Formats: sequence, structure tokens, C-alpha cells
Amino acid sequence: MNNDAADRRNVAAVPYDLSGIALLYVEDEIDARNMVGKMLAMNYPKLKLYTADNGAAGLELYRENEPEIVMTDINMPVMDGIRMSREIKSLNPEASIIAVTAHSDTSYLLNAIEIGIHYYVLKPINYDELFSVIDKILEQIVLKRLVGEQNRRIIESERQLSGAQRIAHLGSWQLDLTDGSMNWSDEMFRICGIDPGSIPAYYWTFLDRFLPEDRELIKKAMRDAVENRQPVSAQFCRIHRPDGALRVLRVEAEVILDGEGVPETMIGTSHDVTELKQAEEQIRTLTDELERRVVQRTALLQASVQELERFSYFVSHDLRAPVARLEGYCRALAEDCTGCPVTRCNQYAERAERVVRQIKHIIDAFNNLTHYAKCKLVLEEVDLSAVVRSIASGFEQSEPERQVEFVIAERLLVRGDPGLLQIAMEHLIGNAWKFTSKKQRARIEFGCSEQVGARVYFVRDNGAGFNMKYLDKLFKPFQTIHSPGEYNWNGTAIGLATVHSIILRHGGRIWAEGEVDRGAAFYFTLEPNPEPGDFMERKQLS
Amino acid sequence: MAKSYIFLVEDNWDDAFLVSRIIEKVCEERIIVVRDGEEAIELLERMAGDGSYRRIRLLLLDLKLPKLNGIEVLQSIRQSHPLRDLPVAVLTSSDNDLDQERCRALGILDYIFKPLTAERLQRVLPPSRIPE
Repeated sequence: MNNDAADRRNVAAVPYDLSGIALLYVEDEIDARNMVGKMLAMNYPKLKLYTADNGAAGLELYRENEPEIVMTDINMPVMDGIRMSREIKSLNPEASIIAVTAHSDTSYLLNAIEIGIHYYVLKPINYDELFSVIDKILEQIVLKRLVGEQNRRIIESERQLSGAQRIAHLGSWQLDLTDGSMNWSDEMFRICGIDPGSIPAYYWTFLDRFLPEDRELIKKAMRDAVENRQPVSAQFCRIHRPDGALRVLRVEAEVILDGEGVPETMIGTSHDVTELKQAEEQIRTLTDELERRVVQRTALLQASVQELERFSYFVSHDLRAPVARLEGYCRALAEDCTGCPVTRCNQYAERAERVVRQIKHIIDAFNNLTHYAKCKLVLEEVDLSAVVRSIASGFEQSEPERQVEFVIAERLLVRGDPGLLQIAMEHLIGNAWKFTSKKQRARIEFGCSEQVGARVYFVRDNGAGFNMKYLDKLFKPFQTIHSPGEYNWNGTAIGLATVHSIILRHGGRIWAEGEVDRGAAFYFTLEPNPEPGDFMERKQLS
Repeated sequence: MAKSYIFLVEDNWDDAFLVSRIIEKVCEERIIVVRDGEEAIELLERMAGDGSYRRIRLLLLDLKLPKLNGIEVLQSIRQSHPLRDLPVAVLTSSDNDLDQERCRALGILDYIFKPLTAERLQRVLPPSRIPE
């Protein structure tokens, strides 16, 4: 026994992972088989060991287990080692076979070489020699396995890379700057509409793909990159496929220098971004179209605002002049008729003067109304609750004898034009104040409720109310649904029309509910961020 | 004794009539009426030339006038050396804030909305500029 040798081998064998490697040992002499088997198990504890006492049994075991290493005696009954080795080699030409032979077996050697038995160990066995042979074989097996594993990994990662390139429509290439030869990835060929590898890839075949105007662009970018030793920044270039299809590529590349700093290779990618570019183009077209429509509609709106301006200019200037004239004549008449025996003349003149004042009032109201429709909004955060509170206290002070209960919700903040909202709330609260004047216990409420995601503000009173059949007249200017003298009338009936105009200008909506003698409720919404309408401002006509 | 004048620039016959009627109620000045801005400036310059402009006690100026408007007339007056201090009151039927601002900046006694009343004219009428 050579325990020293076994110890030494053990250490040497450590770097190799022997798990899964098997050795078949065929020997007809039982003592030798046991002894050598024991030594092998001791020296290679991880090695799987099979033993057989003749060639036929060995072959049977080989078929079952396909061990990597076969170690066999030559002279054996039933089937000798040479015949068994031939059979094994025919099953697996890669099998490593060690012949354990006595000098007297040398007549078999030529046969053995022919079969492909490359390893020999002489009897009686010298373990150093045997282990060194087995070590060599194991080393080869392990290396082969490693290479196989590496190859498998390389193939797998190439497959993944190629799959990724195919999915991303991203081709890669490499250009040898010394001779112009190129190496294209399969996807690079496919992007160009060519079967992978079907044409040789050169710098000029690469350039040929591009449309002439883009070819110059890419050529210059690549030349500059080499000259300046800088990367080719993303270039969008079009190529023609052989079938005529036009594709857009995003080409990027880097220059690789050799040891002396001389540009040697260029590696690059060509990304087929045709669909992306098309989508971009589509978005641009849609945006342009939208922009065009906005411009068109703004122009239309400006035209109607201008029309409105002309009209209100007409009312405020052209109409005012004759009305002032009429007023002048009425006054002249009233003055000159003083002392006239026919007293009716004087009365008529005075009444005519009153009518003229009414006309002037209506003109003013109309001008205000058109102003709200076209003015620019000054947008701020407005505390509607505070606005309503101050209006309410104004009314309370103006008529302290009245008993009116105000219920005002706290801190209703909105975004809007403070001046205009003040006017709107003055009209709404003013109406409620006016139409509750005949109530003993008047109640006016201002609040807000959430309705399908929108805030609805309301002013509610328990006053005279109105008949719902007059609802459509409510917000029209110069229309009243109360008889003259019923309530204090300012002579224009323009309050709710004004409110309507202001709410509309704030992108909101207004509606009302009422019941005669039970009260009225006015509801309105406001756009959270109203359009200030700068574009509607035009130079004042003069 | 040489009479002084009220100089009225007014293109509308009715307005001219109504203003004249009020003037006659308030003072004894003669009334000169011209019908457009150009005519007003021509006449004023002639009066500046012979010195008779001093007899104008008040110029009543309508704003909406043919050819040259009231503001242009006012500008021209304020730029002319002898006429620069002429007392002017504007008469208008439109309520254009911008017009009012411009007129006040150019120097006027009053900005009067039509119709003119005797009380208003009395209030605005400056003392006669020629010695009795």
C-alpha cells in the first residue's frame, strides 16, 4: 500500500469537482479487484466506482451507467478486455480506457492502439503511476466539461442577445477601420431587409443602404468620429430595403483605439425606429391640427367678440347721442312750458324725460352686460363666504328694521375674478333680500353641496319665489316675472342676466328652482380654473 | 364795446340748437358754431392771427366730429402758442373713460355729458377775457 501517494493525490485532486464522474474497473482476480478498488475509493472518494469480474459483465455495467473512465484487465474469461473495449468504443468513442496489462500481454498492444486505448498501467500496479494516469484523464474530463459549459453559456447568451436585438429591432455592427470590413449581427441584416449573412458586410455595403442625402450625413458623422476620436452621436437616417420599404434608423457608434491610440475599430448600433418616428409624426400632425383648430376657433371667438364690441360701441356711442338730444328737447320743453295754461304739456314733457332716463339706464345695463362677456378675468382665490357675509351685513345696515336670518357656510374658497364674483353675489343676495321683504321670518342661506364631483353653490331664500313656468325668462335681460310695484324694481331687470353672464364667464352653469310664496333657490357651479381670456382683449375701438 | 364769443364745435344740428339755447339763457356772448374739426382749427388760427381769439370766453367742443375729432382739435389748440390757454369744455354723449382721461390730460375746464344744462354751463363758464 502506498498511503503517502494516496494522501498526495488527494490534495492534488482537490481543485477538480469530480462529482458525477464514474469509473468502471474490470478485473477477474478477486484480490487485485478488491485491493485496487479500495485504493481508488480512498484516493478519489467522490468518484463513483463500478467493478466487474469479466468483459461481458463490464460491458453490461457500461451500458447501464456509461462511466467516463474504464479501467480493464486484458486477460479475462467470458470476454477479454480488448473485446470489451472495442464494444465500449463503438458505443462511445470518447470513452477513456486504461488497460492494466502484464508484460506477457504485449501481443495485444497493437490491437489496443487500434481500438483507441490510450492509457496503460503495468502489472503489478504502481499506484503513483495509476493515479497519475487517472489524474490526467480526470483533468481532461473536467476541462472538457468546463469548456462545454462555457460554450453552452456563450451560445445561450448569443441566443439571448440575438433575441433581444430581434425584439428591440436593434442591430449591431463592428467596422474594421483598416480594411473597411464589417461584422453585422443577424438583426442588422434583418433591419436592412436582407437574409442574415447572405451578403458580405463592408463599410460601402453599409453606406449603400442609406438614402443618398442621409448617406452623406452618416458618412460625415462617422468620419468626424474617427478624426476626433469621439462617439457618433445618435443620427436618424433612412434606409431603403431591397423590397422598397423605407425604414428610419437611429445609428450610434463608438471608436475603439489600438494600443497606440490609433482608431482601429468602430462598434455601433442601428436601431429601427420607424414605428416610433411614425407615431411621433402622427402626434405632431395631431398637435398641429389641434393647434390649427385652436387658432381657428380663437379667431372665430375674436370675431364674435369684435362683433359684440362693435355692437356695444354702437349702443354706447351712436345710440347715446340721439337719446341725449331727446333728453335735451324734453328738458327744453319742460322749461319752456312752465307757466303754460295747458298743464298737461308740462306733465307730458316730464314723463318723456323720465322715459329717456330709463333708456339711458338700459343702455348702461346693456353695456355692463356685454362688458362681463368680453372682459379679461383677473383670477385670484376668492372667499365667497366672506363676500356674502359683507354683502349681507350691508343689507342689514341699510334696513335695520327687517328681521332676516342669514345662514352662510364657512370658507367657501373659489378661484375667480373678485370684482365680478362680488357683483354676481350682490345680485343674488340682493334678489333674496328683496323678495323676502314681505316675510315675517325671512331666511337667506348661502352654501355648497358636492354633486357628482362638482361643487354646487346655492343661494336659497323663503321669499316670494316664482312660478317654474317662467324659468326660461329668469336669466334673460330686460325681462321681469314680477308685476310692477310688487317689489322695488330698479327699472332694468338685468340682475340675473348679469349673474348668468358672470358665471358663464367663469366656465360655470347657473339654474334655479322656485315655488310661489315658498321661496327660490339659485344654484351655480364654477370652473376650478377659469380661462382668463386674454386673447379676447382687443384694442379699444375709437 | 367789442363782444366776446362762445365758440361751439358741433356737427349735429339738434345738439348745436340745444346748446345755443342754453348759452342764450346763461350769457350774452355771441355764438360761433363750426361743424367739423378742420373748420374749427382753421377759424381758430385765423382768430389767433388777428388777435380776436382773445374774445373767446369758452370753447365748447364735441368729441365726435367729422374730419378731425375733438381730441385732435384739443391737441392742436394746446400746441399752438397763442391758443394754448384757451378755456375749453368738452361735450359728449359717450362715456368712454379713455377719452375723458386724454382730454383731462390735455387741460379742460370740464367734461360734460350731454345734454348741457344751464346750471352746468353757469358753473363752468370762466370770466370774460376782455376788459369791460
